[in-house]
Amino acid sequence: MSTLIVISILAIVVLYLGLFKAKQALLPISVLGLVAALALAIMEWNSNAAPIFSGMMHFDNFAVAFSSICIITTILVFLLSKNYFEKISDNVAEYYTLILFALSGIIVMVSYHNLSMLFVGLEIMSVSLYILAGIKRKDFASNEAALKYFLMGAFSTGFLLFGIALIYGASKSFDLAVIAQYVIDRPTGIDPIFYVGLVLMIVGLCFKVGAAPFHFWTPDVYEGAPTLITAFMSTVVKIAGFAAFLRLFSICFAPLQDFWMPTLLVITILTLFVGNITALYQTNFKRMLAFSSISHAGYMLFAIVALGAASTNAIFIYAAAYAVSSITAFAVLMLVKAKTGSENFEDFNGLAKSNPFLAFALTVAMLSFAGIPLTAGFIGKFFVFNAALAQYHTWLVAIAVVNAIIGVFYYFKVIVAMYFKDNQTKQIATPAYFNFVLGVSLIITLVLGIYPSFITNLF
Amino acid sequence: MSAPVDYLPIIMQLLVALGFVALTMGITHLIGPKRKTTDVKLTAFESGIEVIGNARQPFSIKYFVVAILFVLFDVEVIFMYPWAVNFREFGLNGLIEMFIFMGTLLLGFIYVIKKKALEWD
Repeated sequence: MSTLIVISILAIVVLYLGLFKAKQALLPISVLGLVAALALAIMEWNSNAAPIFSGMMHFDNFAVAFSSICIITTILVFLLSKNYFEKISDNVAEYYTLILFALSGIIVMVSYHNLSMLFVGLEIMSVSLYILAGIKRKDFASNEAALKYFLMGAFSTGFLLFGIALIYGASKSFDLAVIAQYVIDRPTGIDPIFYVGLVLMIVGLCFKVGAAPFHFWTPDVYEGAPTLITAFMSTVVKIAGFAAFLRLFSICFAPLQDFWMPTLLVITILTLFVGNITALYQTNFKRMLAFSSISHAGYMLFAIVALGAASTNAIFIYAAAYAVSSITAFAVLMLVKAKTGSENFEDFNGLAKSNPFLAFALTVAMLSFAGIPLTAGFIGKFFVFNAALAQYHTWLVAIAVVNAIIGVFYYFKVIVAMYFKDNQTKQIATPAYFNFVLGVSLIITLVLGIYPSFITNLF
Repeated sequence: MSAPVDYLPIIMQLLVALGFVALTMGITHLIGPKRKTTDVKLTAFESGIEVIGNARQPFSIKYFVVAILFVLFDVEVIFMYPWAVNFREFGLNGLIEMFIFMGTLLLGFIYVIKKKALEWD
C-alpha cells in the first residue's frame, strides 16, 4: 500500500515546490516519484496480501496490475506536459498536484475492499477532475466542460451512493467479502432492495465510464477540457472506472449474473452503436476521439457482460492497448493544434510528407483503435470477444464486429488525410519528450500486437 | 428478510408529512385575515429611505474564499472532539494519527497563507 502513500506525499511535495518557485523541478520530481510508486506497486505482485486498514483495501494482483497501468499512463501524460501548463496559467504546480491527487483516488478505486472506499476513491478522483477540466479560466468551452462534468458527476455519484446504501440495507455490510457471502448464502430470496441497489450502482458506474445512455457529458467535456487533461480523462480515469466496475461485479455480484446481464447487455449494445455511429459524423478530431472513447467503453463492457475467469485479463489487455493508442493520438493532436490552431481532420492533411514519424505513429495508433492485426488493439479485441464467445454470446460478437467495421471507416479518415491529401504545411517541430512518448507508445503497441504473451497470462 | 410491505410505514410518514404541509397552508389561506396590499408595503424597509437598486448583486469572490476556508478549518475541529473523548483508548497510535491529520491541515494552512488567499487586497 506504500504506492498510495508515496503518491499522496508526492502530490503535497509538488505543491510546495511550486510554492517555493522551483518550477524546473516539478516535472522531474513528479516523474521520479511516480516511477518509485510504480516500483513499490510491482513489488507487491503475488505477495498474497490480506485486506489492510481494517478490511478497507486489498492490494491484490488485480490492484497491482491496474495501478501499474494507471501510473505508467500518468507518467506518459506528464512527459507530454512539458511547457504545456505554462501556456495556460501561472499556477503550474497545482495542475501536477491535482493530477497526482486524482491518481491517488484512482489507486483507492482499483484496490478497494469496502464500498465506502469505492466512494471515497471515486470522489477524490472526480473532484480533482472537475477542477482540471476547468483550468483554462478565461476559456468558455473549458468552463462549460467543468460545470457540465461537475453537475453530471455529482448526479451520478448520487445514484451510486443510493445504490450503496440500499445494498448496505440488505446485506448489513459495506465489506465486499460479506456482501459476496450474503449473495452466496441466498440462492433464492435475496432482499428486493438489494436488486434495486445493484441497478442503481450500475447506473452510477456507467455514468463514470461514459457508457450510453449515460454518455451525454462525455463529448462536451472531452472537447472543452485542455487536450492534456482530456488525454488523462479518456485513458487513466476510464481504466480506473472499469477496474472498479469489474472488481465489484467479479467479487460480489457474479452469482447474480442472470439478473444484471440483460441490463448490461442492452447498455453495451447501445454504447457501441451510439459511439461508433456518432463518431462517423464528426469533423473535429478531438470530438471524434471522445465518441470513439465511448465506443471503446462498449467493447470493455463486453468483458463484464461475459463475466468469467478471463474477464480481468481481457479488460487489462484492452485497457493497456487503448491507453497507449490514446496517448499517441492526443500527443499528435496537441502538436498539430499548436501548429494550426484548430483540431479538424483537414489540419492533418499532408502530415506524412512534413512529419513522417508523427504520421506513422498516429497511423499505428488508429490501426490499433480499429483493431487491425499486428497491433495491440487487435489482441485486446480478440480477448474481449473471446471472453464473450466462451459464454455463447455469438450474436453479440457479431454486432461488435459490425461496429468494429464502422470504426475502421472513421479511423481511416485521418490516415487518408495524412497520406493522400496535400497541403503546403511546414514541418512541425517535435520536442524530444514527445518523440520519447510516441516512441514508447509505438513500441508497446507493436510488441503487444506481435508478441502478446507478455501480459496475456498475468492472471 | 424484509418484504416490500414492511416499507409501508415510510410511505405513511411521507403522506402525513405532505398532508400536514398542504393542510396547514390551505387552512391559513382559508381562515386567515385578508389584507389589501400595495406595492409600497411590499418593498424592503430601508429606515424610511427610498430603496436603490436590487439586493441581488454579485459580491466579491474574496468573501467566498474566506468563507469556504473558515468552513474548512471549522469542520476540522469536529474531528477533534470524538478523538479527545476517546484519547486514552486510542493510545499512542491515535496520537500519531491525529498528528498526521493536523500536520496535513497545517500544510494546507501554510499553502493558503503563502498563496495570499487571506489578504483582502
